[in-house]
Amino acid sequence: MDRIDRRTFLKTTSLAGGAIIAAPVLFNGCAMTGTNLTFAGTERGGYFEKEFGITDSLCKKVLAKALSKGGDFADLYFEHTISNSLGLEDKKVDRAYTSVNLGVGIRTVKGEQVGFGFTQELTEKSMMAAAAMAATIADGSATPVAGKFAAVRTGDYYPLTGTKPAPLAPRLSLVESTAGKCFARSNYVIKTIARFNDARKRIMVVTSDGVKAEDLLPDSALSSMVTVERNGRKEQFWFALGGRYDFSYFTDDIAREVAEGVVDGAVTLLDAVVPPAGEIPVVFAPGDTGVLFHEAVGHGFEADFNRKKISIYSTMMGQKVAEPIVTVVDDGTWPGARGSINFDDEGTPSQKTVLVENGILKSYLHDRISAKHYGLSSTGNGRRESYENYPVPRMRNTYILPGASKPQEIIESVKKGIYIQDVSNGQVNIGQGDFAFYVSRGRLIENGKLGATIKDINIMGSGPKLLRDITMVADDLKLGWNGLSVCGKDGQLVPIDCGMPTVLVKSLTVGGTGKQGA
Amino acid sequence: MNKQMYDLCKWVLDTAGRAGAKDLRVSLGKSRLVEIQYRDKKPEIIKQATTLQMGIDLFVAGRYSSQNTCDLRKDALKEFISDAVSTTKLIAEDPYRTLPDPKYYKGRADMDLKIADASIDELSAEQKHTMVKAAESAAWSAGGEKVVMVEAWFSDALGESVTLTSNGFSGDTRSTNFNVGASVSVRDDDNRRPEAYDYADCRMRKKLASPETIGANAARKALAKLGAKKIATATLPIIIENRNVRRITKGFFDALDGRNIYRKQSFLADKKGQKIGSDKFIIVDDPFILEGAGSRLYDGDGFAAKKRTIIEAGVPKDFYIDWYYSRKLGCEPTSGSTGNMIVPAGTRSVDEIIKDLGKGILVTDFLGGNSNPTTGDFSVGIFGQFFDGGKIVHPVSEMNIADNHLKFWHKLAECANDPWLYSDWRTPSMVFTDVVVSGV
Repeated sequence: MDRIDRRTFLKTTSLAGGAIIAAPVLFNGCAMTGTNLTFAGTERGGYFEKEFGITDSLCKKVLAKALSKGGDFADLYFEHTISNSLGLEDKKVDRAYTSVNLGVGIRTVKGEQVGFGFTQELTEKSMMAAAAMAATIADGSATPVAGKFAAVRTGDYYPLTGTKPAPLAPRLSLVESTAGKCFARSNYVIKTIARFNDARKRIMVVTSDGVKAEDLLPDSALSSMVTVERNGRKEQFWFALGGRYDFSYFTDDIAREVAEGVVDGAVTLLDAVVPPAGEIPVVFAPGDTGVLFHEAVGHGFEADFNRKKISIYSTMMGQKVAEPIVTVVDDGTWPGARGSINFDDEGTPSQKTVLVENGILKSYLHDRISAKHYGLSSTGNGRRESYENYPVPRMRNTYILPGASKPQEIIESVKKGIYIQDVSNGQVNIGQGDFAFYVSRGRLIENGKLGATIKDINIMGSGPKLLRDITMVADDLKLGWNGLSVCGKDGQLVPIDCGMPTVLVKSLTVGGTGKQGA
Repeated sequence: MNKQMYDLCKWVLDTAGRAGAKDLRVSLGKSRLVEIQYRDKKPEIIKQATTLQMGIDLFVAGRYSSQNTCDLRKDALKEFISDAVSTTKLIAEDPYRTLPDPKYYKGRADMDLKIADASIDELSAEQKHTMVKAAESAAWSAGGEKVVMVEAWFSDALGESVTLTSNGFSGDTRSTNFNVGASVSVRDDDNRRPEAYDYADCRMRKKLASPETIGANAARKALAKLGAKKIATATLPIIIENRNVRRITKGFFDALDGRNIYRKQSFLADKKGQKIGSDKFIIVDDPFILEGAGSRLYDGDGFAAKKRTIIEAGVPKDFYIDWYYSRKLGCEPTSGSTGNMIVPAGTRSVDEIIKDLGKGILVTDFLGGNSNPTTGDFSVGIFGQFFDGGKIVHPVSEMNIADNHLKFWHKLAECANDPWLYSDWRTPSMVFTDVVVSGV
């Protein structure tokens, strides 16, 4: 039902700057993945040479072709991804999906110009043709390729416990037991959908300046959506847990946590009242409400939007953008988090990058092109969806650091406002700085106390104003951990996570249907 | 017809059969794309590639799985199929999963939809660069000194597909797509940098608007956003610009989907034949429009495409039920996906309507937002132009509309005469009265 032509989507998202999607991705059937294919082992080096005969000398030859007309550098991005998914909508797992993606992207960079080709055939002939295509961005004489490739030094932020993915039986049982727990949790549950996704992505980045980096990135999530009904009123809710984990993470306790999260969330919505409309104070619960920062702040700090002068933040470096209680980071090193990477898709080691430190704008998020533009080092944010795309600056795990306040005192400080618990998606206009995110569940705050449940509200604001309006930050930082969040930009989706502690924003536009501040 | 593609699909049917899967559907898609983007008067991106993707739906012993791969080396594919068949046997039986009854394959229209432009290979790289440069240059000229950034692009794509099933379906498609566009950022007095875009997207190259017009339109749209502000929360008429109507309609259409109906996640499940919108609310699904972005002769199940009235004078007449969910719901299938969605155009221009309405908001962009298919509640951010006294007064930003689809479509008062033709949703601008727009 949702046919969007590629270019429209591409331009819509790129003009909007970016959008983060969590819940809808799982159940719209477009991201179907698979059954039981496995990689040979979990060792991270030598895979592409062993399986596909990609030797250093072949890489050198292809890189030389990519630089045959000059350019600053060229890189090769090899990928072999196997994704599996098991799903149920009638108590038993009755559908399985597998997806295999294999190919290499070849890029030639000259200043801020990019030539890019890719091929799904890892043969010398196909790769040389793609390299010749990439080379057309330049028109001078050849640039030399490094004589030797060296591995990058980096941490391991998602260690794997076994050499093989889990067999099918325990995965089937995990999904079915989650659904069973949902029905057992409440008599109001009339429908449960559950799914287990797991993917293993093998990548190898080889650059003309001598970097060779190989990795195996796991990515798994257990999710459920339920519909509840009481006295003719129906509501739905979605909940998931996951990250860069293998199957050992998904214990019976995780299944219980998912079932409790989704059913309890849905049941509370049965009592939801009409949400207010207008400009009011908003308190954010800790966790994936961090979409707020991803949208309002994160995209605007991506360096490509700044070097192109699109971003509202492009003239604010070093300036005060928030109160001193606010420090915002983009962290690719949080163990197991969905946005963590050992190195980025250009071969730069991952890091924890401080964007705003005690209220002062300190750094953008850089890939190699923007780092060169600003005369800095890359922050390891050059990411891409697959070999079919060239990398651009992207977030990893973005969050605000804990402050000194207690969550309770923040709620008590608000006379009339709302408390946001769950957020499903968001979007930002980079240039204007306006952002929006969609609240799937929250509460009213009346005289410092949490009141009735509210739902289905779009909340909007201006990014720079929002940063200035953060007046309290609590000590209870949490990431989202739903294992399925993706961020869209330039038509590319990449896995991310975001989070924050309990935070008070003194005023935001709440798009409800009730009266102002009601 | 691509014989190599047919041959590979047949080989997969045979190979899967030998591995124990007698019932299956195999699809092979091939696309070739070229993208050129300019910024600062030089190429920023040049991208070119060809992709192949194979999809296999397996129905083994009453069980179902779906596979996708681009690793089409025959040895790899053979192992892939064999593994897939073994895995499928291990999951739960689903009596509703079968290939469609072949009677629904019959009656396929015998016509040329004109969705493949034979001249796609005639356009030289130089001509493509010339078009992009023309769009970029027109944007800078029309935008003047307020412009901080222009990106302009051209892309074209040739797509081919072949689908075969073990119970007799056979189909192939060939289509082309051309896209030219520009986006423009302008600097506002308070350092905000509103941006706007314009583009054309067509099956046939000759139907593209001129790059100069597109570049200039993008600049004009960006300049029109300068000085945007919020107004007080009010109940006003709104006009949703043609190319954005789809976004608000999507939440409604999700509830017409058989999957959501079966999952008890549809506010329209029991509303077929009931009045849920004004008489002006009419949507026809026509897959046979020549050169249409959504034109096709068969759908994903292989069903022969049909023209259908989906909403007639505010009454839902038909759902989107694919083969699988028709069996689960115990009803006749229709189709699981849309063709070209047509909302009949009205007689007046947006300008005439603005003059007539006096005061309201012309919505030119949405931001964020979502819609709940179970309840019909939605909320979405809007940007656009506030008009009063029949004239545009100033741009508005950071405002919001929230409603329920079961109430909202009763407010549809008029459709303008400007259907948007660069999409499979051919919608004119739509006028809604008495909408609560929240702002200050």
